[in-house]
Amino acid sequence: MVWGGNSWPHVTTSNHQTHPSNPSIKPSNQPPYQHKIMKFLPLLLLVSMFAFFSACEKDEPQADKNFTLTFKTTYDGVPMEKYKNFAYGDRNIQINKFNTFLSDLILVKQDGSEHRLSDIEWVDFTPDLAPDDKAVEVQFKYTVPAGDYKALKIGYGVRPDLNAKKPTDFAPEHPLYRENEYWSGWQSYIFTKVQGLYDLDGAGDPESTLTYHCGSDAVYQTSSMTAHIPVTATSGALTVEFDVKKLFAANGGLFDLNDPLNRNTSHNASNVELGLKVMNNFANATSVK
Amino acid sequence: MVMGLALAVIALAQCKKDPSGSCGIGCDLTDIPYKTTAYTILKPAHFPQIPVPADNRMTLEGVQLGRRLFYDPILSADSTMSCASCHLPQGSFTDNKAVSTGIDGIAGRRSSMSLLNIAYANNGLFWDGRAATLEAQALIPVEDPIEMHHTWPNLVEQLKQHPEYPALFRKAFGIDNCCGITKELTAKALAQFERILISSGISKYDQFVLGDPDALDDMELDGKLMFFDEGQDVNLPDAQCFHCHGSITLTGNNYFNNGLDSVASLDDFIDKGRGEVSRNRTDNGKFRTPTLRNIALTAPYMHDGRFPTLEAVLQHYSGNGKGVSNEDPFVRQIGFPLGGSVLTYSGLTAYQRQAIVKFLHTLTDTSFVNNPDIQNPF
Repeated sequence: MVWGGNSWPHVTTSNHQTHPSNPSIKPSNQPPYQHKIMKFLPLLLLVSMFAFFSACEKDEPQADKNFTLTFKTTYDGVPMEKYKNFAYGDRNIQINKFNTFLSDLILVKQDGSEHRLSDIEWVDFTPDLAPDDKAVEVQFKYTVPAGDYKALKIGYGVRPDLNAKKPTDFAPEHPLYRENEYWSGWQSYIFTKVQGLYDLDGAGDPESTLTYHCGSDAVYQTSSMTAHIPVTATSGALTVEFDVKKLFAANGGLFDLNDPLNRNTSHNASNVELGLKVMNNFANATSVK
Repeated sequence: MVMGLALAVIALAQCKKDPSGSCGIGCDLTDIPYKTTAYTILKPAHFPQIPVPADNRMTLEGVQLGRRLFYDPILSADSTMSCASCHLPQGSFTDNKAVSTGIDGIAGRRSSMSLLNIAYANNGLFWDGRAATLEAQALIPVEDPIEMHHTWPNLVEQLKQHPEYPALFRKAFGIDNCCGITKELTAKALAQFERILISSGISKYDQFVLGDPDALDDMELDGKLMFFDEGQDVNLPDAQCFHCHGSITLTGNNYFNNGLDSVASLDDFIDKGRGEVSRNRTDNGKFRTPTLRNIALTAPYMHDGRFPTLEAVLQHYSGNGKGVSNEDPFVRQIGFPLGGSVLTYSGLTAYQRQAIVKFLHTLTDTSFVNNPDIQNPF
């Protein structure tokens, strides 16, 4: 199931609209067939050349939204699912809400030049209206110049200049329009929400609440994820995966969730320590393919 | 003569489109000018922008038609109930009943939701989110057997034959003939009217937000600080309200199990709420968050109207939920943390509950409910 970042069904958007698939992307137009064609008669060669040039005509000018960026989430490598027990040390844990803002999504070319995909996106892996408990994949489509790219830059959270604004500053289709992702106590967007339950009593089923709401400029993080990312005029794709378990990494192990101070981020605006730990873990929790 | 023949052919052609044969000669509307006036929804400057779907742009004529339809009992099978029967302005577009009763005297299961600021609802409508848009929502109560118990074909037929509606649909949507009236256009008009049901922005809370520090008294301010979890510096506990009731419209339109019912299993909720629509048992017992603006005018409270007063609502939340597995975690974290490995929370004292109730009263917006533009036009 693929979901977009924008839940308002009628508003058309630019980069914030999702498209599960793009029918204009046809890999069969690509060269792998050419070696077979060469074995046949000249007539067929002419036909194939005609087809080749027809395809070229279709490819020029560059197609809109030729690049797909997909976000997925896992827990310890297994697809994430709400209300499902996952192992956390010798106890169980559930992750029932996970969403995050991502800023400055930028592709880096082999020559070091950059192509900005987006200033800001909101990725909600656990939307209310999902048909089941499986974490959804979230896709964004962008127009990207053809070329070989070597990295994706990511900002985890809302970059400071955007975080200085409020939901009322944005149009309904904008990711930062969301009132429920803003907290006046911080004068900040809530960059990331991770909520769930932990089996504190050891009885098997998680029962103790986990709430990590991370925000404020102090916890904003950036990283650059290296990958070979070829983009043609008609296609290109990258999948970014967040492993939620790695958000709990601490001192070579995991947060001690038996300690209540590690189970809920503080609402004290001057105490963002636990939120900072979560946000600091984001880069290591990220993989790209 | 040629003209007469042409008109006859057109009229016959129109009749073929309508099996009921109700639209023919005399049903042509093209003599009525079709020139709409763009309608800008008035909203307070500190409110978010209002989403309007591209396929139902706001027009003065559409809003006027929608307003009339909203208050017209023609929408019910026996012409006794209109939308306004359950959504009255003085109740901030609720009926102030625990559950609403339809034309056959059958009580529904749920309380009518306030329509205040409904234009912002972008995450499903009704308590369970079964309609995606206002346009889709408006189609449902007309045929609901425990609400208006009408049928759309019959209602559309009534509208076609009505002495005034065909012209109003013409002015709003440019239909050429009364046969152009459809349930979809009816729903669009209703949705346009509902989108103008926006706060005035001059409640006491709004005055405070806009910079008047004296707009709230000390107790109301205490309530606000707890509501928004901002009271640490003055030793006030978190009431966690804002997590579900965002800062300006005071709802995020999300779905939560807010700890109302103690059930042994998620299958045991009497009203499964969102789960009834999604067929996902972990959605059982979850309902859409209503706005808290004008909440003092919309008693009783919750999806089934179980709490007669705001004090009873705060008493409920002060109990920190029932421990059901899909409860929102913040429902269990109200009050001061009491320490210990198994972290429990204090709930709220009588003063704290009272302060929050007093704050909720600062959200009252009588200018909205008295706005002449949204009253019954009949």
